[in-house]
Amino acid sequence: MEDMFYQPQIIWTWWIATYLFLGGLGAAAVIISCASNIYIKEHKELVLWGNLSAFAMLSIGSLVLFIHLLDHIAVIHVLNPLGLLTSPESWIMWGTQFILWMMISSMIYTLPYMQESTFWRKIPIIGMILGKFGWLGRLSLKFHKLIGWLAIITAAGTVLYTGLLLQSFPSVALWNNPSVPLLFTASAFSTALAFLLIVLYVFINREEDHALRTFYERTDVILIAVELLIVFLFFQYTTYGQESARASAAILWDDMGWLVGFIGFGLIVPFLIEFRGVTKGWNNAVPIVLAAIMVLCGGYLLRHYFLLAGVYERPYPAVNIIHHSEAEQVKLDDLTLS
Amino acid sequence: MANKHYAMVIDLNTCVGCNACMAACAIENQTPVWKNEWRTYVHDTEIGDRDDQVRRRFFPRLCNHCDNPACMTVCPTGATHKLDNGIVLVNDERCMGCRACAMACPYDARYDVTYADIEEGTNFYGSLQRKHPSVDKCSFCAHLVAKGEKPACVKTCVGSARLFGDLNNPNDEVAKIVASGVAKSLLPHVGTRGNVYYISDLERTS
Ligand code: SF4
Ligand code: SF4
Repeated sequence: MEDMFYQPQIIWTWWIATYLFLGGLGAAAVIISCASNIYIKEHKELVLWGNLSAFAMLSIGSLVLFIHLLDHIAVIHVLNPLGLLTSPESWIMWGTQFILWMMISSMIYTLPYMQESTFWRKIPIIGMILGKFGWLGRLSLKFHKLIGWLAIITAAGTVLYTGLLLQSFPSVALWNNPSVPLLFTASAFSTALAFLLIVLYVFINREEDHALRTFYERTDVILIAVELLIVFLFFQYTTYGQESARASAAILWDDMGWLVGFIGFGLIVPFLIEFRGVTKGWNNAVPIVLAAIMVLCGGYLLRHYFLLAGVYERPYPAVNIIHHSEAEQVKLDDLTLS
Repeated sequence: MANKHYAMVIDLNTCVGCNACMAACAIENQTPVWKNEWRTYVHDTEIGDRDDQVRRRFFPRLCNHCDNPACMTVCPTGATHKLDNGIVLVNDERCMGCRACAMACPYDARYDVTYADIEEGTNFYGSLQRKHPSVDKCSFCAHLVAKGEKPACVKTCVGSARLFGDLNNPNDEVAKIVASGVAKSLLPHVGTRGNVYYISDLERTS
């Protein structure tokens, strides 16, 4: 009717940013390590590192979300796959199922490699469990490629879900557009490549992986460039867009954490370091590892700021979610209910 | 017989800002007023910035029981559901409290009811109907409507600013007002298609 109110939300904060970051990173790590193992070269250590770290990341991310739920028992409704029939439009429903089946299939895919490894067999309880599941390991090897593909497909669903979740909120211009899942997908793969580069340089560190590392670096350079392009599109869209988008622009493009933290040290600096790596090369691994750490920090910052800068357009100030202005608080204090 | 399609009309010309609706709703639905969270709320606003033209406006708001409820689309557990008569409800036994509905709702209609609120509410109201936490909202008093009554806020409104009726019944007062175009829903561009319509107090006809 007349004035609109523009307020950022404070419901989904760092805990959802952590969930989206670890979810995207872990799922993309599963895709890259399984696909590399199937199509580039057999690399058991990479699968072990990639898939087991992904399992840990998804567990932590889901736990952070779970802790923040209001009713922990009711979560059973999203763990039940039949929920897809009753809530097929809900991305959280799909996302939970993707995460669940991705964790299961990627673990089954990794199981035979764990059973082969003396390191894992020697760990007290884990070694015993690995021994008990010998039959599953053999079954996994029999259908290894198929299970790998199952992990890849469910992980792809997880990556896409992390962006589609925000896109499904209609009254926030910053989120309700198809560039969000694209940006989150590019970022998920870039952070996963950065993570696996750290693994390949620091933990596995084998000369014969040189070609694989170079391939990962090249792909990461392209992905960071794509992210920079999408961020530029968001700059245009928010700066010259509708009022709610402009309110998001006022938050984002005036914040050093976004400008210097995410765009500067999360995208541009690692891009330059990795670009020099693929064109001229570095004498040692330090610059690439540093760039990878920056990409990982940038990946979290992206999600953190996207949640922070989501601005709602409403015909009145928010009451329930963002608490009353002081003036209204006085009025409420006058209201005697008890 | 065709389904009912419940809607509310709020006349901003006659709301006097007494907040009786807030009190009636809070008691009827046992809402967590101790933390300032309401199913319906009356904003006290000033409009205009010239001293001689400033107007005071009371603006009641509540869940819009949207035809296209964004809160229901995102709800993963099926807790948020829509009755055939258009009323959107939350089943607190199914709700896991992820707050996706609160994020999706353009009208700020949702609020948390936690286990701590259930405890507090039991002391505050003597006994409490709900046993489970949820992300709650206005129910158009579906339990009263099912008995042929009006929602508590409508029954109590001293200025008769709130009207409740069936859009599918052409003889219904609410249906007539909405059909006349004088009452408009909020945020039509968002696409949620709310069923709470407002008659503006600012329109000039001469
Ligand atoms: S107003 Fe909000 S809570 Fe109510 S039905 Fe519409 S989207 Fe759902
Ligand atoms: S908080 Fe409850 S009602 Fe809201 S989306 Fe989550 S499960 Fe559904």
